[in-house]
Amino acid sequence: MSNHEQSFMSKYIFSTDHKVIGKQFLWLGIFFLMFGGFMAMLIRWSLSHNMQPLPWWLLGDILYQNSPVGVGIIGPDAYNQLFTMHGTIMIFWAITPILTGAFGNFLIPLQIGTEDMAFPKLNMLSFWTMFLASIVLLASYLLPTGTAAGGWTSYPPLSTPVGGIPGYGQVYWTLALTLAGTATLMGAVNYITTIVRFRAPGMGYFKMPLSIWGLFLTSILNALFVPIIAAGLIVLLLDLVAGTQFLVAGQKATIPGGDPLLYQHIFWIFGHPEVYILILPGWGVVSDLLSVFSRKPAFGYKMTALSMCTITALSGLVWGHHMYTTGMSPLLGKAFMFLTLLISIPSSIFFLNWLGTLWKGAIKLEVPMLFALSVMWVFGLGGLTGLYNATITADIYLHDTYFVVGHFHYTMAASVLFGGFAGIYFWFPKMFGKRMNKKLGIIHFWMSFIPLNIVFFNMMVMGYAGHHRRIFDPSVFEFLKPVLQLNDLMTTFAFLLGIGQLIFAINFVFSIIKGKKAEKNPWGASTLEWTVDYPIPHGNFESIPTVYNGPHEYSNPKVKNRDWISQSEKI
Amino acid sequence: MSFQNTWRWFKCTTKKIGGKCWGIWFLDPPKDISLDGYRIDNVIQYTDGVILFYFSIVVLLMIYFLIRYRSRSGHKAEYIHGNSKKYVIFSLVMGMLVFLTVDVVIEGMAFKDLKEAFWNFPKGPNVVRVEVMPQQFAWNFRYAGADGEFGNEDDLIPAQNQMHIPVNTPVVIQIAPYDVIHSFFIPNFRVKVDATPGMINTMWFQATETGNFEIACAELCGNSHYRMRGFLTVDSPADYQKWLNSLEEEGEPEEDDWGDEDEDEGIPTYWGWAWKESI
Repeated sequence: MSNHEQSFMSKYIFSTDHKVIGKQFLWLGIFFLMFGGFMAMLIRWSLSHNMQPLPWWLLGDILYQNSPVGVGIIGPDAYNQLFTMHGTIMIFWAITPILTGAFGNFLIPLQIGTEDMAFPKLNMLSFWTMFLASIVLLASYLLPTGTAAGGWTSYPPLSTPVGGIPGYGQVYWTLALTLAGTATLMGAVNYITTIVRFRAPGMGYFKMPLSIWGLFLTSILNALFVPIIAAGLIVLLLDLVAGTQFLVAGQKATIPGGDPLLYQHIFWIFGHPEVYILILPGWGVVSDLLSVFSRKPAFGYKMTALSMCTITALSGLVWGHHMYTTGMSPLLGKAFMFLTLLISIPSSIFFLNWLGTLWKGAIKLEVPMLFALSVMWVFGLGGLTGLYNATITADIYLHDTYFVVGHFHYTMAASVLFGGFAGIYFWFPKMFGKRMNKKLGIIHFWMSFIPLNIVFFNMMVMGYAGHHRRIFDPSVFEFLKPVLQLNDLMTTFAFLLGIGQLIFAINFVFSIIKGKKAEKNPWGASTLEWTVDYPIPHGNFESIPTVYNGPHEYSNPKVKNRDWISQSEKI
Repeated sequence: MSFQNTWRWFKCTTKKIGGKCWGIWFLDPPKDISLDGYRIDNVIQYTDGVILFYFSIVVLLMIYFLIRYRSRSGHKAEYIHGNSKKYVIFSLVMGMLVFLTVDVVIEGMAFKDLKEAFWNFPKGPNVVRVEVMPQQFAWNFRYAGADGEFGNEDDLIPAQNQMHIPVNTPVVIQIAPYDVIHSFFIPNFRVKVDATPGMINTMWFQATETGNFEIACAELCGNSHYRMRGFLTVDSPADYQKWLNSLEEEGEPEEDDWGDEDEDEGIPTYWGWAWKESI
């Protein structure tokens, strides 16, 4: 599989090369990241400038021209659609394609030392299924009644015809998500097979980079739990289009026997592992990067890998903590609380090992390192605030408030996004053969880190003050009056955060076109992907490398003249 | 000093600093006017304390390491893998320490509170029982009337969104929605319970002060979810009795009160269920 002649179509569009597919996922992810981010700006505008027309720089001259509440004004229906699609797009179309799709595809064969994925054609099919899902999702915006508006969780009966939301937006949403799930499943099967069967000689499980561990465990979770949500979505789809009432009950049901709670269980059996599906690759990337930029082996590598496995196992057993207020049986509630709190043990080992990696290192604050370090901050806050939500009594008050919103934005949005940025800055030279601009990178970092913390922390403050979720106009309630001024502050900083991401987009595109040419191993990293030259040929390695060392061989005293040695070099 | 005393001391100190009791969240939650709301505030404040402690350790160590071990000429990283027995035992001990100081304590607090308060439903003749049926986008309430039984002719139904309860008396609600999932949230009492179609949920609370408070719907229920606001009036026992009497005189609202006559599907003029003794 060396450099054979390929047409443009088979090289760049319908390619079976994992690197091209990885980049395709990256572009898709970045597009939807911008798209979903823009929706976040609209949400923030609506919350602080309720019922005021959008300004021109939020595309007020184009958007919501036919809004029933006035030209260029976001009404309650439009608001519900915004946060529904913001959540859906960010989770399934931005984070998943970037972290799992792009990094998974690009890194797995390169880092474990093989030619390509186990099933290259399935890999291609996975991307194009995702592409089809994106089209279905975007098409829902063209419907006269707009897209889905039942929240990203889409709890029935609200998301069924009984719920009273007009139009077919929900049908498109369900179809698009089922397709996206299918794409994820294909990817997961591929990743698992590749990692289990195609590791280079000498690459034992405990010689894999931690990024691969993260992607491996993520894929296992995907393979186990995505079929469950797919089943739930198909049942929901039947309720939507075939007149069944699996998920409808109570006085509005015409067919007895349905149960809305069933969907919540199905959703969260998938939904909680989904949190770890998103974060595990991020953890792996961060663990690797901390080691690279501390010029020191990852501290407690085995413990980190085993902690990740423990969390993976626990993540499937804790979904009930999303449902404490549904009238769950006390025994079940206590069990879920106990299991959820158990996660704090592997998590604290994680943090200990991250700190241990920094300890006695020689720390270089390059842009990827800044983002990796910031993950320690945001995930620390996000993880620790999970304690409130895991506690049944505290959750009785905090459930469905902005506290939860703040918490999961810290864990899922901030940690995963910063982990993703760290990875993009780090592997950009190997992906595109160019360096990204460091100054712009540092500006992007501070323009992300500070505003993001102000916005997300204040979400938790608001939630603690009682601000419940998904309300179009908080000024309706008397008890929320003290909170309202915070909305203005948060909106301002949310816009700054948005501008920061524009800097990233500009840096990304310009570096591809005009960036400085990158050398072979600019960071002095020891994993296998840095042993190949850009452009990496179809088939990756001239001959399959043999692995002698662990993934983090930095500052080994036996190595002379430099502070790293590649995994495939003999000491 | 026992744990309880230490805790009390910590709370008083924070009170002095801010002039009022606050955690790390800068804004106070709505005033607690319930018998058991303090339990939730306490567990939140304990969690505030421990997460502040552990987060500070992580951040301070991180900053210290970033400065102390920054890359500079003449400084080399040490080749440590951290896989030796010593480190493994150390991290396991730290993990257990977190488990014992955080998880075990908040679990103990939460289970005790659930047993003593939130899941310990009051019984007896003085308990006020209310049936709640949320709909898109309003709250319907139903009181038992003179016979103390629900689901019959003499039930008392106040105007929509109006709930009255007497002060210092336990109130048990049973809740089931008409259409989609709603959630009965009273921030001043720190409690909420979901209303899911097809099942009856229950919750109890007790007010310690009279006044007017708000009921919010905490679960997305449609485009006017944000306007789904109920009014909870905590009366003195005499006022409450007066209010009940006024309801009896008015009788049940007319059929037309429920809104659009042209619509076939509306709220049934009759709802309510026989009180479920055990759920």
